[in-house]
Amino acid sequence: MRILIVEDDLEAAEVMDRGLTEAGHECVRAADGEDGLAAARGGEFDVMIVDRMMPRMDGITMIQTIRREGDQTPVLFLSALGEITDRVDGLKAGGDDYLVKPYAFAELIARVEALSRRRETGSVQTMLRVGELEMDLIGRAVHRQGKEIDLQPREFQLLEFMMRHAGQSVTRTMLLEKVWEYHFDPQTNVIDVHISRLRSKIDKGFDKPMLQTVRGAGYRLEP
Amino acid sequence: MRLPRLFRTTPFRLTLLFLALFAAAASAFLAYIYLATAGEATRRTDQNITREMRSLVAAYDRAGVDAVNQSLIERASSERPFLYLLMKPDGTRISGSIAESPLEDTNGAPSRASFSVTDYDAQGRLVKHPARGFQERLSGGEILFVGADVSEDQAYVVKIVRALWGAGALVIVLGLAGGLLVSRNVSRSMGALNDVVTAVRNGDFGARAQVRGTRDEFDELSEGINEMLDRLERSMAGHRHAGDAIAHDLRSPLTRLRARLETAYLDVEAGKGNAEEALAQALEDTDGVLKTFGAVLSIARLQAAGQAPDQVVFDPADLAADLAELYEPTCEDKGLEFDAELTKDLQVRGNREFLAQALANLLDNAVKYTPAGGAIMFRVRRRSSGEVEYSITDTGPGVPDEDRARVVERFVRLENSRSEPGSGLGLSLVAAVAEAHGGRLELSEGPGKVGEIGPGLRVALILPRAA
Repeated sequence: MRILIVEDDLEAAEVMDRGLTEAGHECVRAADGEDGLAAARGGEFDVMIVDRMMPRMDGITMIQTIRREGDQTPVLFLSALGEITDRVDGLKAGGDDYLVKPYAFAELIARVEALSRRRETGSVQTMLRVGELEMDLIGRAVHRQGKEIDLQPREFQLLEFMMRHAGQSVTRTMLLEKVWEYHFDPQTNVIDVHISRLRSKIDKGFDKPMLQTVRGAGYRLEP
Repeated sequence: MRLPRLFRTTPFRLTLLFLALFAAAASAFLAYIYLATAGEATRRTDQNITREMRSLVAAYDRAGVDAVNQSLIERASSERPFLYLLMKPDGTRISGSIAESPLEDTNGAPSRASFSVTDYDAQGRLVKHPARGFQERLSGGEILFVGADVSEDQAYVVKIVRALWGAGALVIVLGLAGGLLVSRNVSRSMGALNDVVTAVRNGDFGARAQVRGTRDEFDELSEGINEMLDRLERSMAGHRHAGDAIAHDLRSPLTRLRARLETAYLDVEAGKGNAEEALAQALEDTDGVLKTFGAVLSIARLQAAGQAPDQVVFDPADLAADLAELYEPTCEDKGLEFDAELTKDLQVRGNREFLAQALANLLDNAVKYTPAGGAIMFRVRRRSSGEVEYSITDTGPGVPDEDRARVVERFVRLENSRSEPGSGLGLSLVAAVAEAHGGRLELSEGPGKVGEIGPGLRVALILPRAA
């Protein structure tokens, strides 16, 4: 993936660049909103990582500008402002996801990869397929190797999210935000318990475990 | 210094303006009174003179010049207030009370005029009196003059005018004095308010305006200012407290983190420790610090704002059902019985996100502190007062009566909970969320002690009735 990093903290940008490059992505860096705008206009990117507060032009203005110009590249906002209203402002300006600083690198990379996938699945799908797993979005039914799996509504949503991001690491925070729509960290392992329930339903009795735990990051659904 | 300042005050200026307006009106009034009274006096004198003249002319026409002469002499010596003069056709005096006519002969046509007569007063001094007179040629050619001393009338008019002037002056003096008094009063009230504003500007947030209890607009303004200052002071105190709290709250975990890193560094340097393990531990500690920081910041912001942002009206059972669904598997996993009794179709007004976090904290606590085999009950109900109550009851060890107020404070962790992970901020945040919704947090004993289990804890988050 080609990723544009717009971040005025050069050290933070360097760390991101190195990590994402190691993960096999190609990064371009810009140090403020105006440079970022020029870079965004000049090249095709799969994802943009944009700091919200920067000199010369802030991230919100930059993204509003490119959105007005018709650029629909997925944007991940980074911000030290973590209040709900700040998040809403960021998403309203045209951001696709919002990550509050400081963050774990695993969280950043998981979100960036989730965003790149989002664009590919733009059209309306009625059927999701990951390996042996099939999800009928209209009939609300899930099958593995033709065998029906009975899921609770929330488990269905959880699995749908995992299937849409199959092969990618998905963090607990992402699940809580995207599936439950909460933006706080529970002290207890509530997400893990939901995942293990889901796992027992889709993996139990089959040879190959699909729902895997990624150490230090979260979970991944492998085909 | 005091007086010039008083002269600059608005009430004093208003007083001056009103006085000027009053003076102008009074002058116009005076002029009118003068003209009306003076004119009236002249007219009356003229009428009297005319009547006297008619009476004399009638006597002349009836009985001739001698009768007039006789009558004139009688009249002049009586108390009548008239001046008489009867003259021959050539103007020489026949008889009368004055020596010669003050009027020019107008060839017999009747004429009238104002003039002055000289007289001697009681002390023998020569005085001039204003007078008016008529002169007419009689049918026989003689000239008759009748006049009247108008000094008394004029003196009367002058007296009235003087009285009016005096009254005007008195009103102006009294008005000025009253104005000064009122301005001083008003400017003292304003001065008091100004002093408060100055004090606050100089940093004394404890300064308050005095409310005199007169229920006037100054009291209203003072009360308004005081209320505003109360709010401001609370908010400032909140911010200051938040700053102190953040500094304090972060210092201890950061100190711990630093100590661990230092020990790890020394160990690794000495070839004893495991660098990887130390780094992993440091990362974990950092996450802990960040979590603490986030919680402290949330509490501080809520307390400083005084009110949760973005409040909407919603069904409290929906939120509770969501959270019950989120926590139910965890409870089951831990061997806890989980029950939810959620009254539908109530209404609360609040920030869903903050309330969700508060309830999640309470559920986290219940799950953490209730041993396997216990039970957790999650309820939403309407109190008879109309308030909406979320309550979570567990069968854990509970919180002793004397500690219940304390556990809500920041970083307070009871003895038996220190081994559990947690920041000691969970309940503080719940309390802050409750307060930011105009509600409160209540801790009480759970279902009671049964053997080794209990007595449990019941935590209620009470929200006011949605307006």
